Amino acid sequence: MLHLSGASYRYAGYSKEVLHEIDLVLGDGEIVGLVGPNESGKSTLCLVASGLAPASIGGSLRGTLTLDGQPTAGLSTYALAERVVVGFQNPNTQRSGIAATVFEEIALGPMNLGLPVAETVRRTHEAIARLRLEALVRRDPLRLSGGQAQLVGIASLLAMRPRHIILDEPTAQLDPAGTRLVGDALRALAAEGTSLLIAEHKTDLLDGLCTRIIAIDDGRIVLDGPTATIFDDPRLAELGVEAPSRARLSRALADGGFDPSVVGAALAGGVA
Amino acid sequence: MIGGYLGPLVIVAIVIASASVAGVAGRLVRLSLLLTLPIAISVVLVSVFTRAGTHVVFTIGPFDATTEGIDFAGQTLVRLLAISTSIGLFGITTDPRSFVLDLERRRLSPRFAFVALATLEAVPAMVERASVIAAAQRARGLDTEGSIRARIRGLLPLAGPVVLSSLTEVEERSLALEVRAFGRPGRRELLWRMPDSRTQLAVRGALLLALVATIVARITGTFPQLP
Amino acid sequence: MTAAPGEPILRTEGLVHVYAGETRALDGVDLSVAKGERLAIVGQNGSGKSTLVRHFNGLLRPTEGRVLVDGDDAAGRRVAHLSATVGLAFQDPDRQIFAPTVKAEVAFGPRNLGRRGSELDAAVADALRATGLDRDAGTNPYDLGYSRRKLLALASILAMGTPVVVLDEPTTGQDARGVDRVRQIVGELAARGRTVVAISHDMRFVAETFDRVVVMRDGRIVLDGTPAEAFAETAWPMLASTFLEPPLAARIGARLGLGSTPSDEALLFRMGKRLPTD
Repeated sequence: MLHLSGASYRYAGYSKEVLHEIDLVLGDGEIVGLVGPNESGKSTLCLVASGLAPASIGGSLRGTLTLDGQPTAGLSTYALAERVVVGFQNPNTQRSGIAATVFEEIALGPMNLGLPVAETVRRTHEAIARLRLEALVRRDPLRLSGGQAQLVGIASLLAMRPRHIILDEPTAQLDPAGTRLVGDALRALAAEGTSLLIAEHKTDLLDGLCTRIIAIDDGRIVLDGPTATIFDDPRLAELGVEAPSRARLSRALADGGFDPSVVGAALAGGVA
Repeated sequence: MIGGYLGPLVIVAIVIASASVAGVAGRLVRLSLLLTLPIAISVVLVSVFTRAGTHVVFTIGPFDATTEGIDFAGQTLVRLLAISTSIGLFGITTDPRSFVLDLERRRLSPRFAFVALATLEAVPAMVERASVIAAAQRARGLDTEGSIRARIRGLLPLAGPVVLSSLTEVEERSLALEVRAFGRPGRRELLWRMPDSRTQLAVRGALLLALVATIVARITGTFPQLP
Repeated sequence: MTAAPGEPILRTEGLVHVYAGETRALDGVDLSVAKGERLAIVGQNGSGKSTLVRHFNGLLRPTEGRVLVDGDDAAGRRVAHLSATVGLAFQDPDRQIFAPTVKAEVAFGPRNLGRRGSELDAAVADALRATGLDRDAGTNPYDLGYSRRKLLALASILAMGTPVVVLDEPTTGQDARGVDRVRQIVGELAARGRTVVAISHDMRFVAETFDRVVVMRDGRIVLDGTPAEAFAETAWPMLASTFLEPPLAARIGARLGLGSTPSDEALLFRMGKRLPTD
């Protein structure tokens, strides 16, 4: 379990806090979606929830972060890396820059953890399989398209088999098929007990994936609850968060005096 | 006099013979000449004319070319060739990545290995970045195919984002590295192993002995000195 | 130098593009874009969308076939020259920002095209207003958040005043307000008679904002029509073959037997024509 309690964070060299009194609980096997307008503190929250703020970037954190019962204060970044990973949306920065092939790139994480070679190879293959990257294993990581690089970046994190995964817009560069692929992989991981926090604009993706949704604005959590409840909340629009298609159309139909249940039926029916 | 030339020439011969076995003799000769020529020309010019000597062979203006000077230049030249061909052969036949990783396996710090490897990748990554930037700027009307003046004016919009984006990415890059446990103390089990053999081990041993012997010979004055 | 009235402003004939001896990124594309059209190009990653649009301003040249920009063959015309007709806004703003202020960054494009003085100032001001960056004219671009930097990149193309504006994934990374703004910008451009071509993965954005959709697969165009045509039930198998799904509004409309309703608006409109008691 990942537990952030009363977290307020200020970046190094800045006078104002960017996060205020954040309480966040991520249970094992839970997938929590994080929504909010840009510049609301989503990325900062991802950094704090992973412990990298302040362990790596400094700054000052009030409140506590506890991972599986152990407080993270004073833990080194590599001790944190064994428990929790965070991925950012820019595939260029996710790339290590020292791997000759995609296979090596994905293997770097487990290797750095000091694992025996056989285990490293096993975890690498597993991560590759989860994201169907078999065709890319021999490619030069520098020569991938944005979408491919993003998938490789996520796989590189999965290979470390962390108990907690935090992803900041993991599908930004992906086409609809890639987005579904990532959604399926994350769902499978949650079923195995991993806890996940996903910051995304694609509320349709979150709608089908998450058990809970947290909405953040101006560094504060303003909504926190089950997915259906939060996505039906009209306050989302004020926050500048697009409701998922299901909720949006249900509301539009209901407002027009029509029966909104067709929406659920159409979703369930799928596309022939 | 021949003594001063023998050693270095033997080395050059051995190196070039090894190179032709590896199939890179042509590349090696071109590379060594490229490296040695600039230095060689200046060394030759300076020493031929300024080395103290008694037998004057020819004169240009106030400068006397002596046999001692020519001899010195010649011996320096073959030594330069010996050095450049040896280093050149090493560079050509060694994959830098494998080399760095093998050093790590032999106890080089992983941090140092990372810096070395990242440096190797730095130029291709920059080139890739620069080509994307060039495309975006050209789409905004920057003329990269026109006059010299236009191209000079284009330097800032082309070089600027290369530097800026590299700098702004540094923080997120290093964060991403820490997430993947870079900087964890202790050794790591590497996926790679550079193939080795008893023969190669024996040759390395023999070379090491030869090095020691050469140093001893030099110190005890058995080797011919430069004139 | 300009297309005759009625002639398409962009045209490709049998366009083939092969990258460095590898895959055929474009496998014979015939496309005509009329002046003032709002065209969306959709398809999987790797289907050739980006490759196609980079031919419009000469960044890529055909391996086979022809590209005509404003009636004339693009071959032999420099990118700088073609960029006066076709402005291409790239996906990654950080791979082009270099100026110390937002204003200077936006002025770069039009200045390259020869605009000066009050004409230049007006173009910049207009672009800043359209993208909501007018109050940040003096700000350093890197003090803006990522989504506003993306809008900045868009503004720098708008200011060039090109007859054709090409947008490569304009809504990725944008929050709801950002997407709204992009939608507004496309509308404004069309109202001024400019042609808009956009690559997008967001089917709803496409259905609501564009009047023509082209679906690409494996370097070819496999569907070409209005959003109603491209997302009609008859097109679903083709969409599925390239791993695309129609917007939810279209699925609901089909289920209710209302014909093709690609957008929320179309769905509600058709539903409104039937009384709630039906």
